[in-house]
Amino acid sequence: MDLATLGGQFLGTIPLGDIVLYLTTFNLFMFGAALVFTAIIAMSRTESQVEAEFGTLNEREKKVSKDEFKIRRFLSIVCGLATAGAMITGDLFNFTLFVCLIGIVNIGIVAAVKEVDVLDSAFQYGIIAMIATLPLFGGAASILATTGTISLLELVNIPTSAFMLFSSILLFIGVAGESGVAPFFATKAEMFRTAGSPFLVIIHLSSLLVIVRTIEILLIINKPFGI
Amino acid sequence: MAASVLVPTVVSPEVVSLYIPAIFTGLLVGLIGLLAISYQKNDLHALILTDIVSLGMLILVAAVGTDLAEALILPGLVVELAEILAISEILMSREMRKMDKTVELIPLPLSFNMEILDTAPTFLAIILIIYGAFLSGFTGGAIAGGGILFYVLSKMTRGVPSNTWEGVAGASGIAWCLWIVGFLIFFVAPSYWLLALFLAAFGIFIKVAFKVGLIGVIGREEFKKDKE
Repeated sequence: MDLATLGGQFLGTIPLGDIVLYLTTFNLFMFGAALVFTAIIAMSRTESQVEAEFGTLNEREKKVSKDEFKIRRFLSIVCGLATAGAMITGDLFNFTLFVCLIGIVNIGIVAAVKEVDVLDSAFQYGIIAMIATLPLFGGAASILATTGTISLLELVNIPTSAFMLFSSILLFIGVAGESGVAPFFATKAEMFRTAGSPFLVIIHLSSLLVIVRTIEILLIINKPFGI
Repeated sequence: MAASVLVPTVVSPEVVSLYIPAIFTGLLVGLIGLLAISYQKNDLHALILTDIVSLGMLILVAAVGTDLAEALILPGLVVELAEILAISEILMSREMRKMDKTVELIPLPLSFNMEILDTAPTFLAIILIIYGAFLSGFTGGAIAGGGILFYVLSKMTRGVPSNTWEGVAGASGIAWCLWIVGFLIFFVAPSYWLLALFLAAFGIFIKVAFKVGLIGVIGREEFKKDKE
């Protein structure tokens, strides 16, 4: 399966020494979308959460303090940029590094909240993300060992072997753990239950975009329907 | 294996045949780590055991055994360290919230007023910083940073001006940008390699020096602000 079939239209490459970025319409659209969302999030303010108290007519308002707001906005911008980078990169190992950066920054965004439950969930997500680095980097490294390259432009032309399939499964498990999707979602679900919502949304968005991009990369490596 | 890999003839077949055992070792280390985590109910122990799983990751990357793999181990290690730092920070802030009191990063119960704390730190710090500048690069940064850290720790009992340290943090950030620009020049315009080399070497020197010097100091303002 070549790049144009997956990406719509092959627009060219940006050679930076060893690292060659390639542009397809699919890639470029996802890159732009991630940047636009990052810009929107960078400009927005946090909303405050109002909780009704049970049994009385009182309500509690939870606000994000100025310092916390600043650090969260910074980390969400980093998260958005890392997502954009993961969308456009043409190098398998850079992709895994961007995914790891997203994982670390996600922990950072909720690190300063006051709710113990949220911190608990962030801790569990962190443990899973750290365990997931084993299949993630392991998969990328064994693809490097089998094919001798980690450039996606080269991987397109290399026929698939059984070991590459195994490595891709490792890679997928790694991405799933790192971005906290399906089997590991239980660790991440509680992280959203705190004030400061636009910054929390980028946690969600990054994992969605990363999964789509991972599927593209896995199709490039494995060519399931013949070349 | 269907895809043939170009292995240079100088590499003996024994070394090549070690790859599959190394992969199994890495996965086995990971599995042992996971088993230990599943038995362990204490959060701190679980965090420390996760490090074993990351070691399995390093084995998997190192098993490739080429120059590129060597270059890939470093980011792997950095990611691992960053994650363990982030998670331990989460754990600490959770425990602080539970107990409702804060803990100092470097507890210093002593408060003495000795002449040697005034003179010796400056002298030693200057020597270390000069030696670090002479070395340049990452190593030099670590040595100079050690000097700065020593200075701060010795002065902590007397109070360090907090504004200065925030300025130092800013300089560290700018130096990091220099480092990145240096690397970009390597890729974009390889003919200016000397400029790129010096930008990268001194950028990382200043950055690492300040970073080591700033460990924890800026983050939570552990030092006593303008005590005198």
